[in-house]
Amino acid sequence: MIESLHAGSFFFHPALLFFLGACILPFIKGWVRNVFIIAVPLLSLALVMVLSYGTHWQVQIAGVDITFGRVDRLSLVFAHIFCLMSVIGSLYGMHLKDNWQHVAAWGYVGSAIGCTFAGDYLSLFLFWEGLMITSVCLVWLRGTEESLRAGYRYVLVHTFGGLCLLAGIFILYFKTGDLSFGPMVEGVPVAAWLIMIGFLLNAAVPPLHAWLPDAYGSATVVGSVFMCAYTTKTAVYTLARAFAGYDILIPLGVAMALYGVVYAVLENDTRRLLSYHIISQVGYMVAGVGIGTEMAINGACAHAYAHILYKSLLFMGVGSVVAVTGRSKFSELGGLWKYMPWTFVFTLIGGLSISAFPFFSGFVSKSMVIAGAWQDHLMWAGLLLTLASAGTFLHTGLKVPYFIWFNREEPPFTPPKSEAPWNMLAAMAIAAYFCIMLGCNPNFLYSMLPYPVDYHPYTAAHVMESYQILLFTMLGFFLLLGKLKPKALIGLDIDWFYRKGSVKFMAFCRNVPAAIDNTFITNLHKTVALPLLRFCSRMSSWHDTKVVDGFVDGSADRVLRLSRYLRPFAQPGSLSKYLAGMLTFLATTVLAAVTLALY
Amino acid sequence: MIVRIIAWLRGHMFFVKIVCIAVLIGLIVGDLFVPRHHPHFLGDIIPGFWAGFGFIACVLIIIISKWLGTAFLFRPDTYYSANDAKPSEGEMK
Repeated sequence: MIESLHAGSFFFHPALLFFLGACILPFIKGWVRNVFIIAVPLLSLALVMVLSYGTHWQVQIAGVDITFGRVDRLSLVFAHIFCLMSVIGSLYGMHLKDNWQHVAAWGYVGSAIGCTFAGDYLSLFLFWEGLMITSVCLVWLRGTEESLRAGYRYVLVHTFGGLCLLAGIFILYFKTGDLSFGPMVEGVPVAAWLIMIGFLLNAAVPPLHAWLPDAYGSATVVGSVFMCAYTTKTAVYTLARAFAGYDILIPLGVAMALYGVVYAVLENDTRRLLSYHIISQVGYMVAGVGIGTEMAINGACAHAYAHILYKSLLFMGVGSVVAVTGRSKFSELGGLWKYMPWTFVFTLIGGLSISAFPFFSGFVSKSMVIAGAWQDHLMWAGLLLTLASAGTFLHTGLKVPYFIWFNREEPPFTPPKSEAPWNMLAAMAIAAYFCIMLGCNPNFLYSMLPYPVDYHPYTAAHVMESYQILLFTMLGFFLLLGKLKPKALIGLDIDWFYRKGSVKFMAFCRNVPAAIDNTFITNLHKTVALPLLRFCSRMSSWHDTKVVDGFVDGSADRVLRLSRYLRPFAQPGSLSKYLAGMLTFLATTVLAAVTLALY
Repeated sequence: MIVRIIAWLRGHMFFVKIVCIAVLIGLIVGDLFVPRHHPHFLGDIIPGFWAGFGFIACVLIIIISKWLGTAFLFRPDTYYSANDAKPSEGEMK
């Protein structure tokens, strides 16, 4: 049935809907605006469902083929979830008076969809930069000093990634003359590495990851809900497109999965904790792409699909708490169960889904990646990924709900009077529905994956294994609860190098070169340069007086003396002597001429 | 409705704990009877392996992370903000 929908040759770019919508949105008001906010994403979702396979919207610019609409199974599964997520996110932010967040968010969604349909590197790069520009607006729209700074850091880091990508694209073009975006061609290692670094930075692979918790913890409530879905998953899509089966991605992905888990223990900010778990979860996808078998690629795509739903659900739940209470730190929260029970239930569903509880969405997707690792005999990878999934439950399934809604009898502040606005709850309910629906009916997801699926998550052994790991993790959590009590601390991460490092660099510039200037250069001036200059000036003065003046004065003296000798003869001063002289000269000349004529 | 359920559970903590422990024991006992088709690893052969794995994983993650934190990584949460406010001061401590 799905296949028949995508037959034919129909194409209209869904990103264009979002861009046009973003242009119209600031000019409409009231209920029309609310309907519009839901209608545009819904329309794009419907559009994605009926796009035809193939390449569309090709233009030629300066001899280079630009393809805006390459539609295949891999791009469709990502476009589908991107559009579904935009429905949920737009509904979640509908109550906002601030239209600009929606405008930025739609620009962001459009860029992500543009990336998924891009058939060449140039249009990919165009939308790739669009992602960065629109998402930083979602950080800056928070309007705090902290978000302003975080936004600038975000732009700087992503500019670096974008430049790596662009450099790779240039090298690729000059080496091969081809810019089509597909599996990376052999024989251009430098281009491949640069492009991969660009992709890995957006996928938040350590050590290129610190922008993620930094920005997502500082963005607006609605902004972080959107951001948690698109940037990293677009990167996963591009990796799956270009670098499927690159072995280096397996250890990177496994390291990511564990890195996020470790840092989540140290984190006291709710949204930053969830951000570290994005890194952890994207690790599964990166590892799946690296394994590169059909099963693993399917797993990476399925996990991206499920991840967007449960991670946005978690960000929505925690975001509601931030919006209602104005607090985001575990050490300042607790005891909210009486006041925000529905938010608790939805967040818990998100937590159970990300932890891969049977009958929730993570179970049917994450296990595909791990099964891919087992199937490929990568025992260490499978085992470490399983270990990371225990850590995921520990934090997102247990720590987040426990320390926000329980831990204290009453909240340590005036309790909120009501739950989050109805539209936030409705958006969470839709995401929660999809989390459970995917878990119970995995074929809905499996039928969309790029390759045919021959995988059955619900075997007795697998369900048993999952329950054992998760529930015994829970046992460990409650036994070690004392160790996990939140404290007002932060864990240093790679961003230290550019946040503290830049300060240290400036301090270094102020101290070391300035000190060298003050002490050494100043002394050098006094002890070496000035005496040298004085010596030179003395020498030049001596040369001037003795040599130059001597020469000039001496020659003037000689001229004077010579002229004094000649004066009595040349200038005698009386007319008779001049006349005598002239006659003598004339007589001598005539005599000489006569003598010459005679001989 | 949800508040009432949670309040009831919180009021019967002992009962909740007994049920939880029963479930944990039930999981290990149940593992003895689960059919295994394609054993990939020890966990697919030894009953209760994954229970131990989950518990040890949880304990290891907490202890190692906490150790990393206290030994190297923890700073007061004003660490960067103090620095942002007065950029000329260099490091806070």
